Amino acid sequence: MHVWKSLGERRGLIKKTKAEFSDELPVGESVRQITRRDFFRFSGLGFAAGLAIGCKSKVVEKAMPYLNAQEGLTPGVAQWYATTCQGCSAGCGVLARSRDGRPVKLEGNPDHPLNRGGLCAIGQAQTRGLYDPSRLKQPRLQGQDCAWQAFDADLAKRFAEIKGKGGKLRILTGTLLSPTLKATIHGFLGGFKDGKLISYDALSCAAISAAYEQTHGLKVLPHYRLEEAEFILGIEADFLGTWINPAGFTRAYASRRGPDNSRPMSKHVQAEACMSLTGSNADERLRLAPSEVVPFLEALASALGSGKSGGDLRKELRTKANALAHELGEHRGSSLVLCGANDLYAQLLTARINHLLGNEGHTVDLSHPSLQKQGDDPALAGLIKEMGEGQIDAVIVVGANPSYDLPEEFSSAFAKVPIRMSLCLTADETAVTCTHLAPDHHWLETWSDAEPVVGTMSLVQPLTNPLFQTRAALESFLTWGGQSSSALEHLREHWRKEVFSRQKVVGDFGTFWDGVLQKGAVQLEGSPTPPAYREDLNASLRARNEAKPGTYELLLMAKVGMGDGRHAFNPWLQELPDPITKMTWDNYVSVSPATAKGLGLEQGDLAALRPQGLSELTLPVVVQPGQDDRTLAVALGYGRKDGGPKDWKTVGTNVYPWRSLATGFLAASLTGLQVRRVGGRAELAATQDHHSLEGRELVREMALAPYLRDPASARPHEQPGPSVYGEHPHGKHRWAMVIDLNKCTGCSGCVIGCQVENNIPIVGKEEVAKKREMHWLRIDRYYEGSEAEPKVFHQPMMCQQCDNAPCENVCPVLATVHSEEGLNQQVYNRCVGTRYCANNCPYKVRRFNWWEYPHNSEVERLALNPDVTVRSRGVMEKCSFCVQRLMTAKIQAKNEGRELKDGEAQPACMQSCPAQAIVFGDVQDPDSQISHAMRDPKRFLVLGELGIGPAVSYLTKIRNADSTEAKGGHHGA
Amino acid sequence: MAPEDHTSALPATLLIEDEQERGYGHVLPLIDGNKTYSQVTEEVFSTTERMPPLKWWLALSVSLSLLLLGAWAVTQTVTRGIGTWGLNRTVGWAFDITNFVFWVGIGHAGTLISAILFLFRQRWRTSINRAAEAMTIFAVMCAGTFPIIHMGRPWLAFWATPYPNTRGPLWVNFKSPLLWDVFAISTYFIISLTFWYLGMVPDLATMRDRAKTKVRKAIFSIFSLGWNGSNRTWSRYETVYMLLAGLSTPLVISVHTIVSMDFATSVIPGWHATIFPPYFVAGAVFSGFAMVLTLMIIARKVMDLEEYITVRHLEAMTKVIIATGMIVGMAYGTEFFMAWYSGNNFERYVFINRALGPFKWAYWSMVSCNVIIPQLFWIRKVRTTPWMIFILSIFVNIGMWFERFVIIVTSLHRDYLPSSWAMYTPTFVEVAIFLGSFGLFFTCFLIFTRLLPMIAASEVKGVLKHEEH
Repeated sequence: MHVWKSLGERRGLIKKTKAEFSDELPVGESVRQITRRDFFRFSGLGFAAGLAIGCKSKVVEKAMPYLNAQEGLTPGVAQWYATTCQGCSAGCGVLARSRDGRPVKLEGNPDHPLNRGGLCAIGQAQTRGLYDPSRLKQPRLQGQDCAWQAFDADLAKRFAEIKGKGGKLRILTGTLLSPTLKATIHGFLGGFKDGKLISYDALSCAAISAAYEQTHGLKVLPHYRLEEAEFILGIEADFLGTWINPAGFTRAYASRRGPDNSRPMSKHVQAEACMSLTGSNADERLRLAPSEVVPFLEALASALGSGKSGGDLRKELRTKANALAHELGEHRGSSLVLCGANDLYAQLLTARINHLLGNEGHTVDLSHPSLQKQGDDPALAGLIKEMGEGQIDAVIVVGANPSYDLPEEFSSAFAKVPIRMSLCLTADETAVTCTHLAPDHHWLETWSDAEPVVGTMSLVQPLTNPLFQTRAALESFLTWGGQSSSALEHLREHWRKEVFSRQKVVGDFGTFWDGVLQKGAVQLEGSPTPPAYREDLNASLRARNEAKPGTYELLLMAKVGMGDGRHAFNPWLQELPDPITKMTWDNYVSVSPATAKGLGLEQGDLAALRPQGLSELTLPVVVQPGQDDRTLAVALGYGRKDGGPKDWKTVGTNVYPWRSLATGFLAASLTGLQVRRVGGRAELAATQDHHSLEGRELVREMALAPYLRDPASARPHEQPGPSVYGEHPHGKHRWAMVIDLNKCTGCSGCVIGCQVENNIPIVGKEEVAKKREMHWLRIDRYYEGSEAEPKVFHQPMMCQQCDNAPCENVCPVLATVHSEEGLNQQVYNRCVGTRYCANNCPYKVRRFNWWEYPHNSEVERLALNPDVTVRSRGVMEKCSFCVQRLMTAKIQAKNEGRELKDGEAQPACMQSCPAQAIVFGDVQDPDSQISHAMRDPKRFLVLGELGIGPAVSYLTKIRNADSTEAKGGHHGA
Repeated sequence: MAPEDHTSALPATLLIEDEQERGYGHVLPLIDGNKTYSQVTEEVFSTTERMPPLKWWLALSVSLSLLLLGAWAVTQTVTRGIGTWGLNRTVGWAFDITNFVFWVGIGHAGTLISAILFLFRQRWRTSINRAAEAMTIFAVMCAGTFPIIHMGRPWLAFWATPYPNTRGPLWVNFKSPLLWDVFAISTYFIISLTFWYLGMVPDLATMRDRAKTKVRKAIFSIFSLGWNGSNRTWSRYETVYMLLAGLSTPLVISVHTIVSMDFATSVIPGWHATIFPPYFVAGAVFSGFAMVLTLMIIARKVMDLEEYITVRHLEAMTKVIIATGMIVGMAYGTEFFMAWYSGNNFERYVFINRALGPFKWAYWSMVSCNVIIPQLFWIRKVRTTPWMIFILSIFVNIGMWFERFVIIVTSLHRDYLPSSWAMYTPTFVEVAIFLGSFGLFFTCFLIFTRLLPMIAASEVKGVLKHEEH
């Protein structure tokens, strides 16, 4: 019987509407066979976290939800699971919010000892990688898609051949944070006569562990404890932005940056060639060419009483080094020298200086060394040599893209290996040259673990069923090694044997496991006391970098959003403005203002660069204040060609081929650079073009000494005049936010957190160039002082939720109104799009939907937050203080029949801030954190004189430097 | 009754002493060529009764082409989005609201001529008031399109009106100057249309009486509202006309005052200024008279109306231009003085940036066109040579468009936070919409000149010299 509802339908005029997940859904069979309801049923019930990976095991494990311990799942109510971020090799703990069986938001895990709740931009953008339609959907054999059985059968045959002839197998990985995976790989390699595991990092720190091998006999990367450091000297080390463990370092660093803490405020001096995020936060900054790093370290060591100075150092730097040595000497045991140069001699000197300063065991922790950079560059060089000689029978690449990020000799040598396999997510540059592709799960689909710092163990648990027919690396190696257990079983077994025994607190493994799974991490004992320092400074290691006249030096750096380039196809990260240059969607060559003038270059001009003996590349010029005059800098991680969507236009230029392993280490600096101007200009997409404060008191700063003498002197004098409008009536809550500019480093994690939480569209390079980026939260960056040595200010700027909001007055249709909780609410349904509100916003934080921004891929759409409306064309939008999160917290409190607790309602920006620079809460509660922050004498309003009563305020930046003391008082910038 | 009979009974209120008797000396005559009443009737109405000449068709095809171009551009805007324009997160208005204020300003001259000059007994207005009022209506039509199409969701434009609805207390925001605009512009349009139409009733009756076809007669019978030319009719007509003139007079002030409040009530430096209402009204009259001059000089040439729209009229209007131009110039100076005197850094920066920043070309175009060039009107030769007046009026039109552009764009593009400063470049779509608005304006005007009497024949007859005829 055919039931019809209308005549039109009866006549066949009305077709059935398309199912939400249509046939075109580009996902694997396993997903396509289940209906939408099944999808929710399977994955939603929290079993996503418990379902064992793969098909063999149907064991359903119970995973206790972390925050909202509920018996069952209520559709529409989010669940939180603790896992470990694999976005880079730092291994931060995250809480993943799952809505109806799909992870939609990642946040820092406050209980994870490494990052304590903070999460960087790359970490927060990880869900996009999960829902990436260009992911590999099944294994590929000689370029042909195939089933896993056929794939494994083919491999079994080939492995047997290699085993039979005693051939050589190499496994090349990025840093492997997972001890279980590492053990499994070693187990697998045990079946081969000559099988080796070699790790490398595209952004290598191999020289540090190599140096400690020489000085302590331990090949480890120390864990730097910035929270213990009162005096930090960073040399070419962007530890707040891109170096080793940015979120964790930021957290530790920021904890010492307040002038009112019980422990004294730290002083930070940064010596570097190109303005880095870290340098922009330093109390003092000096410009140092890469070739001057070693002489400068020598001068420091010499001033500290060890060794003689190299002599080839500029006089002012020598004076500076002596002064710094003096200051460092005053902080024995509580100072820290960090050097980012991947140069063995420089790292030996750094180790010596830290030893001379007595920092070992205090700020330089060798008992709990870091495992976040396990790369071994000399071993990598050895592998390339072996491959080039045709000795290797098979190479398995795991979680790395060496054809892209290693020097070109890798690719030519790799081509000589008969069996080339990659365990990757997308068909990247390495994958396209491989014979076998065994696509790995995204880390949000997999069981694994991580030990980023010795003794800090955390688990990785799946948040969803695998979207495609991929297989976890752990399971792949188990299969190839002839074991049949699932990843979860194997992981539990490994933990029972290796991890459970390392602790004595919990007696029962089940309880221990569940506890770690809930908490996300466990802290175990570290390794025994390391051997003592022994002098081993071989002068022959000292590289001779004689600068040739008429040439420049080149620094290959990493950018905060892009890192090593593995997430280059993540549009959130491409559109994230660089914290310093505010550029999006490109890399470029940074040139100092003086050098640019000398070379006749202007911002946006094209310049051809040719490092000595290398190929020439053309890049757009960005004039960078604070850059060393003899050094030009280019970011790595751009120019990715393979692994993205089909219509992807290559973003930027790949400069990895310029790096070499000539010194044994992947050096980030080059000399003998020739630069010339070529005709033509490039379109650069910056979100901020004007860098001066124009004498406006939008950011306040003060030196530490006068502040400590009289904290009240920080209080701004002028108060806004009376208003003709009465106060808005306020209900039970009144929300406000205070941003501490002492803690905020400008790392931009909040920008991505906000974007993910609030479904903020990506607009693309052309639109950003037209100044139509949609970010609700941006970070304004201002320079003050000379172009050569500017001071830098970072100021997060979002809707200030004004009490007398200029936007509210002018809207003809009442589409933006004041709530009784002090929020300035934007009503998308009502908005007709006159843009008057945006014009009348003094902070220019309102964003207009110029187009219908596409969410065209079914898979990408899964990343949208179901709690937030996707806005249509022609309406205005802006920061809402994450009203949906406030509502969730209030509803939960109401359901539990209690008052809302302070700190329970957190906007996304505040939650994820690695520096904990944002305080948010209800000012009607006099004991709340926000009420305390509101009484801080450092508190000031931006444009408070307009009388619009912003609910967001800032804390005056205190600089721990003498130079600002002369300015005295609370002078603004 | 013969047509002459209707209009020969001249309204007493319109009759005032001949200016020469009042000692003005040798002023130029208001109407040249010793017209008789029947000559006036014949010359004014015959244009509406025969096929238009080739030059009219040429003009119409040009304006229609522009109108079509504009229609294409509006379609682009509505179907694809405001993204087709050059606006950005910092500059949310540019060509759209510039054009809106420009066209509203143009409209002002019509009302001023028909209402205020009527109340002040300025008899020279009679030859130009009909066309000037038509210009007002078409200009307001052009202006009215911009607030609608500048919306992100123009199909919801009706939400800006306080209509009863079923959504509970969903209402408009009476604090918003944009809402005041809705009322001001719609009131202005309705009153202007009524005033224009009522002033035309005696002439419509003449057209009815001259009509040769039944259809034409029927149409004009309806629109002439049974006019019979009796004293009673004339008396009531004059009363209504006087009342409507009185009603329109405050609108001349209020409409542009309210338009200026779009800016004056904001917090943006360069917009937030109490001087705006008088400054905008003067600017509106200034630009409106320039547009009337532009139109009349073409029309009198093309339509052979040089004897009706005489140099005397043109000269009178140039005097209004020079007066209002100097008011506008003074406002420019006052703005700078206040920016300096207020001690407000944001305000100071905006004005320095106006004169010396990236949009200085627009600022100096504005100052040259609005303040410097109109000074040539001090020369009598310039005031009485139509082609020179024409060129100068074009300059004023350009200058006044730039004035609005300068106020809107230079204030927005660099306001409080330097981090958000941005530039603005128009797109082809925006320029096409602007040209399209001229297309709409001229198309309407050209059709008007052929359908309706462009000269208020009944009023002109009142200023003919009787002893000479």
